[in-house]
Amino acid sequence: MKRIILVGKPNCGKSLLFNQLTGLRQKVANFPGVTVELKSGQFKDLEVVDFPGTYSLHSLSRDEEIAIEKLNEAVHDEHTALVVCVLDATRMERSLVFALQAQALAAKHNKPVVFALNMIDEVHRYGYSIDTDALSQKLGSPVFALSAKALTGIAEFKQALPELVANPPEPAKEAAESQSEKALIERARQLSKEFGINVDLVLKNQNRIDTFLLNNLLGGVAFLAIMFFLFQSIFTWASPLMDGVEYLIGEMAIGVTAFTGEGMLTDFLNDAIFGGLGSFLVFVPQIMVLTLIIGLLEDSGYLARAALICHKPLSYFGLSGRSFIPYLSGHACAIPAIMAARTIESPRKRLITMLTIPLMSCSARLPVYALLIAVLIPSDSYFLGIFNLQGAAFFGLYMFGIVTALIVSLILNRTTAKDKTLTDMPFILELPTYRLPHWKPLFHRVITAGMQFIRRAGPVIFFISLGIWVLGYFPQGAGLKDSLLGQIGHIIEPIFEPLGLDWRYGVAMIMSFLAREVFVGALGTMFGIDGADENIGGLAANIQADGLTLGAGIGLLLFYVVALQCVATVAMLRAETGRSRIAWGLFVAYGVLAYAIAALVANVIG
Amino acid sequence: MTLWDLQSKSHACIDSLSDTLSPAVASRLSEMGFTPGQPVICIRRSPLQGPLVVQLGDCVYSLERDIANKIALS
Repeated sequence: MKRIILVGKPNCGKSLLFNQLTGLRQKVANFPGVTVELKSGQFKDLEVVDFPGTYSLHSLSRDEEIAIEKLNEAVHDEHTALVVCVLDATRMERSLVFALQAQALAAKHNKPVVFALNMIDEVHRYGYSIDTDALSQKLGSPVFALSAKALTGIAEFKQALPELVANPPEPAKEAAESQSEKALIERARQLSKEFGINVDLVLKNQNRIDTFLLNNLLGGVAFLAIMFFLFQSIFTWASPLMDGVEYLIGEMAIGVTAFTGEGMLTDFLNDAIFGGLGSFLVFVPQIMVLTLIIGLLEDSGYLARAALICHKPLSYFGLSGRSFIPYLSGHACAIPAIMAARTIESPRKRLITMLTIPLMSCSARLPVYALLIAVLIPSDSYFLGIFNLQGAAFFGLYMFGIVTALIVSLILNRTTAKDKTLTDMPFILELPTYRLPHWKPLFHRVITAGMQFIRRAGPVIFFISLGIWVLGYFPQGAGLKDSLLGQIGHIIEPIFEPLGLDWRYGVAMIMSFLAREVFVGALGTMFGIDGADENIGGLAANIQADGLTLGAGIGLLLFYVVALQCVATVAMLRAETGRSRIAWGLFVAYGVLAYAIAALVANVIG
Repeated sequence: MTLWDLQSKSHACIDSLSDTLSPAVASRLSEMGFTPGQPVICIRRSPLQGPLVVQLGDCVYSLERDIANKIALS
């Protein structure tokens, strides 16, 4: 099949053009450890490939290097029949620099080029028109004025594409003649001066909105409001969807086990298969909701402003302004937050952000915090007469996570500074025009995020859930206490001794690697209380009576702040960094750190 | 005078890029329009030495101090 490739600078509307050409069926190719995505779809009997938006053919980071490498390969490939350079008609100069580089590259490989002058509707709205014939003559390749959003000129473009593939225009020979970089930039400037529109008109609107959204006071208020909205969306609004997923899986389990009767097969289907399935499918709604909100922020142009606002404070810790949203999202759940780190351009800062997200107190820690705080602190105790001590303890745990994350970032920043594979991007951010997002690219982005998670992180989560189920279930009918896991707990009890904890806590801690909230239910089982999840008060009273010391209790709380007790997060880190070693290494590192902190506290407080 | 010294709402022209910039970053800046003689306007300065916002050609860019310090103005 012959192939058309789409290239252009970021924010030129290339993705929307791709979506208008290809319709609903798309494939996304990923490369481990980088955020480069090549989307391909079908248009008539042609394959269309959408390349990531690039500023230049000279790379600054590993991500750009891979994107450019793939572009070189694609242009060289014999199946590639046409290169479409997408231009932003309202900002010709900047988009022409890359387009001319791409044209030269195509000419070198004897491939024809056409230019798609996108967003022509905005040019018309400003009262301008562009002489495409004259521009085409100057560029030496055909030019199509169109708007992927308003659909102006799209029908003509669709009609022309197959003809262009069948009877390709002459490759622009002049472009192939080695032009110096300087001459190319100058040429882009001349062409945009001759054909482009008055840029002050375009930028005036954008700057007017920015005086509000970047204002020290009003901009701050707007920023907080938007972040509040984002946090609400994953914390509160995604939960009905998550409940829905759990309900559906529960119903399926009931439906299937109705045929199997009681016994091991039913237990296996119920707890291992459907339980294991549920343990990763439940994250899909959160991932999709957060991807949607971040997509809205990015496509509207606000994400760049948010990065600008957060840049300075976060840069002290070696983080990027774009680390803020992943950190914030991490307080709901690390899984979508790690995926959200994809918007960080600098590979090093992206890695540091991903590695520290698990220290944010996610919602799965809440039941653990609630149980242990209820055990350790009477609900009617007040600090200075006005602050409820239980509330203050919650706050303290959240802050402990954030401060630890910032310290770890600082250390990682120092230790990875010389790593050549993680070269840093300088902070040069383009503030794009504010635009109303279009649903089509967003829709695909949301679906792709959900699918990628299921495909890449799902199997690991599923098999580990299965393994832990086997350990907790056999020998059959023994119950958790006398299961293999219980026996292991007895054997490794000495490990928990320095923490002031016995084997029952040890078993619950191992079980909670599935998900932290499992700790509560598992500990309930160990204390002989069914449904401890719904009866935290009852379990807390039992633990109190059993004599958990204050030191051991606080140590256990801090252990849960730091330890990477979540198989889904480990699987996600593995999928996103492309390296198992990093994910499991981090699991061990945070485990050791959490253990050390807990042992220290248990021994100091006693 | 460097780009970092440019006061809010004032104009100047790019003079040169510092030799201390890595070749890759310098070439990216040129591609973004930071070439000698180009007029630049400071749109905004952030509190606490945060990134500044400038208009150059048909784009608005935000740059941090480390980079802005290495772009000389005339």
